Amino acid sequence: MAKFVVIGERLSTTAPAINRAFTSRDPEPILKRAKEQLDAGATYLDVNIGPAENDGPELMKWAVELLQGNFDNVPLALDTANKAAIEAGISVYNRSKGKPIVNSADAAGRIEYIDLAAANDAIVIALCNGEGIAKDNDERMAYCQTMLERGMEHGMEPTDMWFDPLFLVIKGMQDKQEQILECIKMISDMELNSTGGLSNNSNGMPKHIRPIMDSAMVAMAMQCGLTSAIVNPCDLRLMETIKSCDIIKNNTLYADSYLEL
Amino acid sequence: MPFNGKSGKFNAAIRTVEIGTGDKAVKLGGENVLPFYTFDAPIENAPKVGVMITDLSLEEMENEAAGIKEYYAGATSFAELAKKAEAMPGADFVVLRLEGADPNGRDKSVEDCVAVAKEVGDAITAPLVIEGCKNVEKDAELFAKVAEALQGKNVLILSAREENYKGVAAAAGLAYGQKVGAESAVDINLAKQLNVLIGQLGVDQANVVMNVGSAAAGYGFEYVVSTMDRIKAAALSQNDAQLQMPIITPVAEEAWGVKEAMASEADMPEWGSQEERGIDMEVETAAAVLASGSNAVILKHPTSVATISTLIKELV
Repeated sequence: MAKFVVIGERLSTTAPAINRAFTSRDPEPILKRAKEQLDAGATYLDVNIGPAENDGPELMKWAVELLQGNFDNVPLALDTANKAAIEAGISVYNRSKGKPIVNSADAAGRIEYIDLAAANDAIVIALCNGEGIAKDNDERMAYCQTMLERGMEHGMEPTDMWFDPLFLVIKGMQDKQEQILECIKMISDMELNSTGGLSNNSNGMPKHIRPIMDSAMVAMAMQCGLTSAIVNPCDLRLMETIKSCDIIKNNTLYADSYLEL
Repeated sequence: MPFNGKSGKFNAAIRTVEIGTGDKAVKLGGENVLPFYTFDAPIENAPKVGVMITDLSLEEMENEAAGIKEYYAGATSFAELAKKAEAMPGADFVVLRLEGADPNGRDKSVEDCVAVAKEVGDAITAPLVIEGCKNVEKDAELFAKVAEALQGKNVLILSAREENYKGVAAAAGLAYGQKVGAESAVDINLAKQLNVLIGQLGVDQANVVMNVGSAAAGYGFEYVVSTMDRIKAAALSQNDAQLQMPIITPVAEEAWGVKEAMASEADMPEWGSQEERGIDMEVETAAAVLASGSNAVILKHPTSVATISTLIKELV
């Protein structure tokens, strides 16, 4: 099996400093945060430019060229609701280190993002979700099936569709957590890839608890077959857990220095 | 739907490491397919064959097999010996094994060994690989001096081990610009760890070749095969940068040291010619490690060298 793919989540307009940097085209804060994530072990970087309704295409091009130019064509997940911006980003994207990821499609209003990924030979993150949050795994897997068929009709390799079960917050939806793990198992049993915003599970918990809960969640999810997650790679405990799970699953070969690699 | 044949080539590749200089320099590695899987993608650099001589070859030639004695007949110096080794049909490089340095054996001085290495290095234009005596302290001292004396020749120092990698890799790989061999004894985790540690010293990983251990066929050889298989799987299918170094395997010293090669015809009349048995062990072991992923083998009998080089030519 392949090594778990860590997608760094920290380049996002939800962070005020990054939002300002995107708006004013200020490279410095963006490069700093990108470097921190790559040094900490991220493989992909998510580039979340928000809705970017005005200047999306131009902004995404700028961000892709900035990041790939400074970090040896680092592979990127292009994260925005603006389809034209994703296409513009892909038009300047260098794939030598990995295909671009389209973030994201769902089985309802955003199903066309699958077509977009297929047309551009990209990976797509496919949320097992329609209108509103799926009530159970029958519903999640039906969405999964719908999106899988859509992708295959458009010529996609099933392994280029990374299904997101949608991690749910424990505080409030504690009874749903095992469902999510089962959903990952079902996706894995179909030999499909999966990913997701894993740290959503610990939303609202005290800061010192979150790395512990995220680490436990990633370990359990990896055992169920999760192949990737969109996380904060600067969370050392989480990254150590992922690296250790990769060893136990024989995804990487053990060496005494494995935590430093 | 039409059938689409898929190539088994990987998106990762073994690094290419060049040893020697000039026209005769050889490139080890570079492939992005399993051993000899030329139907998946071309293998740019075919596996290479090295011919081993030692610093005791002159005085102990009478103990060698007839075919070896005959081949080197008339050589009275290490320079002459080395020239014959490089001219052996099928040879890509020469290996000088400084076994006389062993403190538990002849205990030759570092100076004497460096002089032999220098004589050999100056006599040939083929790439040179230097092996030590397996005593970690003596080898550390020896390799530093040899690496210094042979500066500019781009030799491969075989090898740095867990106990002496700091000194050996720093001298060969950093101070004197030679290639570094990283040796582990049939231990995949140590093979990887040693590469990591040598990298952390600052040695460019493009200058490292691995010796992951060997055994004569039949002598725990399945562990050698599974080690090489796992290393190639990590390097190619898991894109593990810490294991993408080419592999070199010393075969001669293992193959000629087991009872099938050593038992005399007087003791074992039913086993047939002793020399043929030795050659068989050497050829079988070399063919098997090549099939498991070695990018170079070290042999000594002219018949083995000719056989294995022909095998490689036929397959790549």
